[in-house]
Amino acid sequence: MPTLYRLHRAALYAAVFGIAAVSTASAAEIVIGAATAQTGGLAPYDQPALAGLRMALDELNAKGGLGGKYTVKLVIKDTRSDTAQTATVAQELIDAGAKIMITPCDADPSISVGQLTQPLGIPTLTLCGSAPVLTGAVGDVMFGTYPADNVQATAVAEFAIAEGKKKVFLLTSPDSTYTANLPEYFGKVFEKKGGAIAGRGTYTMGQPDFSAEITNIKGLADQPDLIMTAAYEPDFPAFIQQLRGAGVTIPVYGADAIGTPTIKALGKLVDGVVYTAAGYAEPGSKLEAFNAAFTKYAGHAPESTYEVNGYEIGLILDQAVKTAGSDDPKAIRDAIAGLKDFEGITGKITYAGTDRMPLRPVALMRYEGGEGKHIQTVIPDAADVPAP
Amino acid sequence: MIAQQIINAVSLGGVYALLALGLAIVFSIVGLINFAHGELMTLSGYALLASLVLGLPFPVAVLAAVSCGALAALAMERVAFRPMRGASVTSLLLTSFAVSSLLKVVFQNGISARPQAVAMPGWMTGAFSFGDFTIGVGPSISIVVSALALIALEIFLRRTVTGTAMRAAAEDFDVVRLMGIPASRIIATAFLLSGLLAGLAAMLWVAQRASVDPLMGFTPVLKAFIAAVVGGLGSLPGAVAGGFLLGIIEVLLQATLPATIAPYRDAIVLSGVIAVLLVRPQGLIPAVRVQRS
Repeated sequence: MPTLYRLHRAALYAAVFGIAAVSTASAAEIVIGAATAQTGGLAPYDQPALAGLRMALDELNAKGGLGGKYTVKLVIKDTRSDTAQTATVAQELIDAGAKIMITPCDADPSISVGQLTQPLGIPTLTLCGSAPVLTGAVGDVMFGTYPADNVQATAVAEFAIAEGKKKVFLLTSPDSTYTANLPEYFGKVFEKKGGAIAGRGTYTMGQPDFSAEITNIKGLADQPDLIMTAAYEPDFPAFIQQLRGAGVTIPVYGADAIGTPTIKALGKLVDGVVYTAAGYAEPGSKLEAFNAAFTKYAGHAPESTYEVNGYEIGLILDQAVKTAGSDDPKAIRDAIAGLKDFEGITGKITYAGTDRMPLRPVALMRYEGGEGKHIQTVIPDAADVPAP
Repeated sequence: MIAQQIINAVSLGGVYALLALGLAIVFSIVGLINFAHGELMTLSGYALLASLVLGLPFPVAVLAAVSCGALAALAMERVAFRPMRGASVTSLLLTSFAVSSLLKVVFQNGISARPQAVAMPGWMTGAFSFGDFTIGVGPSISIVVSALALIALEIFLRRTVTGTAMRAAAEDFDVVRLMGIPASRIIATAFLLSGLLAGLAAMLWVAQRASVDPLMGFTPVLKAFIAAVVGGLGSLPGAVAGGFLLGIIEVLLQATLPATIAPYRDAIVLSGVIAVLLVRPQGLIPAVRVQRS
């Protein structure tokens, strides 16, 4: 009885590999692979973003799935914030049938996934990786979702110039694309608009002691009136603690990675620090409604705008599948690349005409008395944004 | 400017010295490089945070945090290292890596993967002017605490019976046991002292960094290991010398290297370490050990 035997064996496999068997059996299901950090240095960024995405997918599944047709099965694997491990789990997700891939909030692991998905044509979206070199390093399947570093830097630089700042000190770290390039983009725009770079300094991520660098800043003959850095946790708290401890009161500006509860909890220490976000929840805005819905969904309020960014990834995928009319990865990729003025939660999102880093608004924020206060929301002029 | 950088160097060197001493004390007695030493720091950091959140006054919170580090070191010895007593150096090393990884995951999943801000009292971020230059309160406290801890340890090792026994055990453990001193007590004391030093170092570390996170122990234990090796593995004065040397080199390089070469700072520091070891393979101040065939 070979046929019966085969059936038995199939049943056994189905029982053992239950989930996998169902995913290949059901035609109206689409697997989204999420190679994201649940542990390690990227976890504080990946986890909020992933929570937003899950909320979107849960809501979409309740309405029939992506494009109303394809129920989403989200398979999540931990990358441990390690680039090599990220590639390993991405391969596992591809083997599990992922037709869309989600990657961590950083360029390097995202590129390692992109190298696997590019030949297969699987659309790949980073949760909040914002290095503009990211999409070019991989190819046409790789999409950014968060406002790109050069866009954020342009927004902050134009604001600093408008405030009357003249001389900036750039603090960079060569250890990541984000920390190395963002302040340099700022410097380019700042110089073009009439400002000057008073000095440059570097640090190593995880470096315990900033005292030597701070003494150098204090010793500059030409004192800057602003320090720009893309340092984040735990380096940013260490830097500003030691800077203020040394009696230096020069304002410090940064970007999106310091818009977190940890930095906010530093209280008086970070008074006056300017940073960016993907949006600001004005009363009556869609973002305010999202924040309320997310609080109900997750049991806690969003920590930052990474949640809403993750949620918007869900909406983008839904729209793309709707446009594509199928679950074919290549058709979905083309549909994402063609998105124009898509109404997200934070504003209009456009991929058409870009190199797959979206055009979208940037909210400028400032810490005051332990709270993030909204300054303004801008979309920098594309002509002012420095090339990656 | 130069005076300022010297203060920076001594302050960082003091913290490295405390950390390296913690490693060296345990190594001199049981031949174990405890890579979970950094997690003792992390634990003390979280204990400080918890005490402050509970509303304890700052000095009490610091005391509680340092004791927590010491007790955790005792517990670590009892649970993880005592069953491994007499095992090879490699097994001990791997055990310490296992303990370290385990604790990191517990911190990440049990507390939070996100760094937690620790609000240090306002006076600690202040600075006072001294003639032409300003000295931060933080670095000054760092220097004073490191100096006091080193002096206290020296007195303990020279003037008490347990201290004398520990010094003897570092030279020849078997003879000390023949003298009727219980091995467990010596080893437990070594871990207790290393925990105390880790706790103290953690307080200075957190005061400078304003946050605690699950992975914060990694860098310091690495620096301490380098300092201990340069100084002479297992030698206590060597660990102190190595710690100060490492701190001074790091600060001087950071202060003087032009921005284009600065990213290679760590590579230059480690090349310096290799150079020192080529000239003095046993370290700056080698440990005294009785060699028997």
